[in-house]
Amino acid sequence: MNLKDRYAIVGLGYTLQGRVPDRTALSFHVEAISDAIKDAGLEKGDIDGLICYRHFPSLGGEPDVTPYLVAQQVGLAPKAMSQEANCARSQLINALGWLEAGLCNYVVISYAHNPLSGGRFFGNRIENYNKAVFGQFGATSGYAMAARRAMHTFNTGPETWKHIAVGQRKWANLNPIAMMHNRTMTFEDYYNSRWVVEPLRLFDNCLVTDGGRACVVTSVERARDLRHPVVAVMGIGQHNPSVEIEHATNMSGPTGAKLSGEIAFAMAGITLDDIDACEIYDCFTYTVEVTLQDYGFFKPGEGGDWFKDGTIEPGGRMPINTSGGQLSEAYYMGLTQLTEATMQLMGRCGERQLGPKTNTRTPEIILCSDNGGILQTHSTTILRRL
Amino acid sequence: MVYEKPLPQPNADDKFFWDGCKEHKLLFQKCLSCGLVRWPPSIICPYCHSNDTDVIEAAGKGKIYTYAVYHQAYHPGFESEIPYVTAVIELAEGPHFLSNITGCEPDELECDMPVEVVWEDANKEFSLPKFQPIQ
Repeated sequence: MNLKDRYAIVGLGYTLQGRVPDRTALSFHVEAISDAIKDAGLEKGDIDGLICYRHFPSLGGEPDVTPYLVAQQVGLAPKAMSQEANCARSQLINALGWLEAGLCNYVVISYAHNPLSGGRFFGNRIENYNKAVFGQFGATSGYAMAARRAMHTFNTGPETWKHIAVGQRKWANLNPIAMMHNRTMTFEDYYNSRWVVEPLRLFDNCLVTDGGRACVVTSVERARDLRHPVVAVMGIGQHNPSVEIEHATNMSGPTGAKLSGEIAFAMAGITLDDIDACEIYDCFTYTVEVTLQDYGFFKPGEGGDWFKDGTIEPGGRMPINTSGGQLSEAYYMGLTQLTEATMQLMGRCGERQLGPKTNTRTPEIILCSDNGGILQTHSTTILRRL
Repeated sequence: MVYEKPLPQPNADDKFFWDGCKEHKLLFQKCLSCGLVRWPPSIICPYCHSNDTDVIEAAGKGKIYTYAVYHQAYHPGFESEIPYVTAVIELAEGPHFLSNITGCEPDELECDMPVEVVWEDANKEFSLPKFQPIQ
């Protein structure tokens, strides 16, 4: 059965974010979920499904953030519960499946971590000795390899990516809770940021964030009785190419975004022309470029022209990552995108609200992406205000 | 001199590969049904699911599919080598193999540059296949 416009995001959970010392990862999950339930106007007893994004190994002697602990501390005994382990981004699809099967009425999805204050150095854990012996560690290197191949395959590079980093920063400067709210970025600042793993600079990398984020999903019928405007899932799709970057041949496209996007657009019955704004998973600047390219916004190598002159910025013709995204607001895996799209469609975004306030179209339909591993999994969600 | 970088931890799937490296041989599984030369190793061919497998010695030549230049170390053993290069080598036989590029400055590299294997003996137990541009 077509799931178009049958399920909705009805509540959003936020926490303090940025550098927030003396807080466990678990406490951010609990706070985000509790906030999302309250925001939806629900009681904890209404929640009968719980999905947690992966937990990174705990820091400083804290217990691992299992969904059992999360459920216990929120006071839930869910009828269905899961937590993925390796960044496969099926959370929303799973939630819709549980709702569609009649197993649950309200599913909450959460992500939280405390890596900034906890001192996590992403990439220093040996996960595969056949990579570690050659010094291959972390996500930046994998995306650097993809970005390097893309530079060779089509016309891209820092000249394109600077527009993404700087454009998203302008949105963050309008968002009081963004980690980079008070810090502007020029093209010169971008070029002056240090190399991490070349060709990616520090400002091509997403942020490391203490905090949590959550959302509540239910049927459109139930959503109509709740307090916020109804933001429905119009289309959803996923594709998992799965092959590790060291063996992949699609790192310069087509990534999982292509098929995932085709599935979501087919369900929604719309085209790119109907999209008012995008919230694109931005672990790195290049990820934004290749995702939009695979969705069909521009042809390979035409990103440089497409992004220039402020296309994605406040006042631009296709606003992208309007909270600042993971490059400049905060990192919550795919929930940074889903929560911001929902907030925009509900009209709750203050100074950064799409519409007259930012000289952009008042949004009816927003395209969201999520991506995990090194371009190994991709989810597409099209949300609209009913 | 103590070797300070991580060493291979051979498992049941890849022990034959690291045993071959000790003799400076690049050994890969080849599917006898469809001919696919595969890496990483597996008990079946991911393309045709045949378990009829041979082991071949690769010639050690290929080209750089892509590469990354590390300007920070994620493991103390690599600190003295910054900036160092990891690269995916597209071997002539087909597999994409992660390794390092040596004997070349990072800014001289480009994708599709032809390279050949050079062996680095880490210790008595392990030799690592690395690659350098073909002059």
